[in-house]
Amino acid sequence: MRRINPIPLAAVGIIALLALLVPYLGLPDPVRIDVPNRLAGPSWQHLLGQDEVGRDILSRLLWGARSSLTVALLSATIACVIGTALGVMGGFLGGVVDLLTIRAADIVLCFPPLLLALLVVTLLGPGAATLIPVLALVYLPGFVRVAYAGVLSVRHQEYVEAQRALGVGKLRIMLRTVLPNIGGPVLVQFSLAMASAVVLESGLSFLGLGVVPPSPSWGLMIGAARSTMAQTPLPLLWPCLALTLTVLSMNALCDAVRAAVDPHGVPPRQRRWLLPALLPGLPFRAGASLAVRDLTVAIDTPAGAVRPVRSVSWSVAPGETLAIVGESGSGKSLTGLAVLGLLPLVARPEEGAVLFGERELLRMDEAALRRLRGAELAMIFQDPMSSLNPVHRIGTQIVEAIRAHRPLSRRSAWQEAVALLARVGIPDAARRARSFPHELSGGMRQRAMIAMAIANRPTLLIADEPTTALDVTIQAQVLELLAELKAENGMGLVFITHALPVVAEIADRVVVMYAGEVVEHGPVAEIFTRPLHPYTAALLRSAPPEDGSLPQAIPGTVPLPQHLPAGCAFAPRCVSRRDACEAAPPPLEQAAPGHDTRCIRWREWQRLPVTQGAEA
Amino acid sequence: MWVLRRIGVALVLVWIVASVVFLAIRLVPGDPAEIMLSQGGVSPDAAVVAELRDQLGLDRSIWDQYRANFQGLLSGDLGVSLTDQASVSGQVFARLPRTLELIAVAALVSVLTGIPLGLLAALRRGGWFDRLAMGLAGLSLSVPVFVVGTLLVLVFAQWLALLPAGGFTPFRTDPTRHVAQVLMPAITIASSLAPVLFGMTRAAVIDVITRDHVRTARAKGVAPAGVVLRHVLRNALIPVVTVLALHLGTLLGGTVLVEYVFNYPGLSGLLVDAVNARDYPMVQGVVLVISVLFVALNLTMDLVYGVLDPRVRRA
Repeated sequence: MRRINPIPLAAVGIIALLALLVPYLGLPDPVRIDVPNRLAGPSWQHLLGQDEVGRDILSRLLWGARSSLTVALLSATIACVIGTALGVMGGFLGGVVDLLTIRAADIVLCFPPLLLALLVVTLLGPGAATLIPVLALVYLPGFVRVAYAGVLSVRHQEYVEAQRALGVGKLRIMLRTVLPNIGGPVLVQFSLAMASAVVLESGLSFLGLGVVPPSPSWGLMIGAARSTMAQTPLPLLWPCLALTLTVLSMNALCDAVRAAVDPHGVPPRQRRWLLPALLPGLPFRAGASLAVRDLTVAIDTPAGAVRPVRSVSWSVAPGETLAIVGESGSGKSLTGLAVLGLLPLVARPEEGAVLFGERELLRMDEAALRRLRGAELAMIFQDPMSSLNPVHRIGTQIVEAIRAHRPLSRRSAWQEAVALLARVGIPDAARRARSFPHELSGGMRQRAMIAMAIANRPTLLIADEPTTALDVTIQAQVLELLAELKAENGMGLVFITHALPVVAEIADRVVVMYAGEVVEHGPVAEIFTRPLHPYTAALLRSAPPEDGSLPQAIPGTVPLPQHLPAGCAFAPRCVSRRDACEAAPPPLEQAAPGHDTRCIRWREWQRLPVTQGAEA
Repeated sequence: MWVLRRIGVALVLVWIVASVVFLAIRLVPGDPAEIMLSQGGVSPDAAVVAELRDQLGLDRSIWDQYRANFQGLLSGDLGVSLTDQASVSGQVFARLPRTLELIAVAALVSVLTGIPLGLLAALRRGGWFDRLAMGLAGLSLSVPVFVVGTLLVLVFAQWLALLPAGGFTPFRTDPTRHVAQVLMPAITIASSLAPVLFGMTRAAVIDVITRDHVRTARAKGVAPAGVVLRHVLRNALIPVVTVLALHLGTLLGGTVLVEYVFNYPGLSGLLVDAVNARDYPMVQGVVLVISVLFVALNLTMDLVYGVLDPRVRRA
């Protein structure tokens, strides 16, 4: 739990302190009537003036705080203790107890709280003595719910299961393990109940159903001052102000408590992601459809910028397939997103250029880039379930892509969407177009995603792990489909994946990324037969071999961009490591025309026989 | 099938609520005959009380009363008021539309302010507009409704004399006055509902905007307005509608304070008076109508929810 914001805490503290110290402040008697001086303005004896029967307003205000907070504190405490106990028992014991506590709480929750309080108060008669149990009853179900939910979530966690296995009694587990763990949500609920009880108490007193006159209460004061408010508004405004300030600081304290208990919802800082300055003209491969040059992506964190993509360069020609491979966390997807200007808000391109034909995408304004996206430049995302909008029909989502770039009527766009679905091999496309994403299988969803991406015949398609979520047969069909589309349109394809067997099938050239950098780049045949970087070799060994022998996993994990080693990023996991590897980051060197590697020992690997490559 | 089951559950819920109210009101001390006859703090004559009890059927066993009560309900008869022999259903249905109108106008005002402002604040998160709107919503949420109502009366009725301080005029008698009298109480209710919708919309938009499908929409080249309306707001409305439904439910019967401040003759006032007079049939009638409406509201919201989120639709 983090620290609670001190400002609302201090405000509530001051109010509570005043309420506590009221009897010792030497204030006039709050119930002493002084009719001759009724509605008198402020004076030295009566700092805030006198009310409609001449009682001291300041004194009544502070005594009112005392009664209001007392009622709120007692009722919230009673509700908290009983409600939490019931919720914990219901959650932990289950069965009949569960049914009795939780269902009963649900039924009480159905009643509007004010209506419930009102019914009970009118039946039992007004007064502070009934107010406390009534408010406790109103807030009880909230605590039952919160505690119940808390118990259900910790009940099956390992440390609770472990204690059970050790034979610790249920009661002990409840008291020792579960209670401290649900403390946070219960505390939030408690502060909510306190704030709400102050409002409800004043409301009931205002109606004459709460605190009984002449005892001071804010609700009563407001109710009484209403009749004279046209002539003297101050006696009305003071209790309104006191009540509002109290509830405001209590609500602020609720938010602070919630923020301290629940670390979510801390907004990340928003960042513009256009580059500040233009780079001078960069050389790019002639005839390339898309060329990425020295792209660096930065994420600003409180501890400084981290760079999950560093100085990455590659290009794709029309009709060519470039595969970008690497483990999770290697920066493959971020590179793809940076090209389309779709990086998450926290990330921004820091350096480099992306050339699409003659245009430089990183420095293009958003409106111009938007006209390219989905038209000439399209992208397929990894998880089709989350990447499709669950509330719109598949057909509608494709129509949207079409109409974003071409002025077609809804009807003809719909016909085109159906044709596209048929084109990507969805049977009964006219009916399927009316389906929602959750009504389709994973393979169908990915096909729909592809249909959406090719809707405007892009010249370049970036596919981010388009087959990861699919089973092997569907995978093969999707790959076949992509190959066909490429052949049809002369489309360039950037295929981001961690599955090497897929790469062998589809790619012309391969870029291997590790920890945000390109570590090897070359034609697919060379990469597979004679890898010039130990990481590529390790990746190849980690793919399931065709002879049925066991794949060899790469020990360790990709280092986080904020914890990069001083030398070669792969050195800590590399079986061919030398001392020189850890001295300085190795440069990307050209081993052969069109084949680059970032390993200082590449000459040794080049001499090894084919199929062994780097460190066999 | 699913709808039928929902309606069945709803009916059982209404029956439970009606029974609980029936029992609670009779098990609590306070004899309606005695209360009706006590005027000016003088205890009534025991014989007169007994006669009235007999006349009202209060001396029968609770079980007999319960049976008679529910037989009446099944034939659509809510009974007659103990205090003035008026038909309960007549009274309830005269007052109900007024409260519903109040809630509807308040909901409309809240939806039209809370949702657009919440969307705007979320899109400008951390900016001056967001901070200003958050501050105002927090303040608005912290001022109790009867304080808002009283202050509105002070400013607009007493000081500026722009609007009537309260009361009710039927629409057919004087449309302008009717609207003027509904306006302030509705805005008072909205002052507590709009910030809730604002906060929920803001939170939901902030959540939805980071989802993958929004990125897909941008990748399609959809214009920013289309992304925000069709892919962000559309999805964010799902939790907002849930919260709206919950609050509308609490407003049924929860408008007591506002009706009191503005002297508005709605359903809540009727209930308070009836409870005070131990007017059993009237209390039961009002609570029954409120719970039926509450359950109907929940059913409607389930259907609306199905429209908003196709994933919860059933075959």
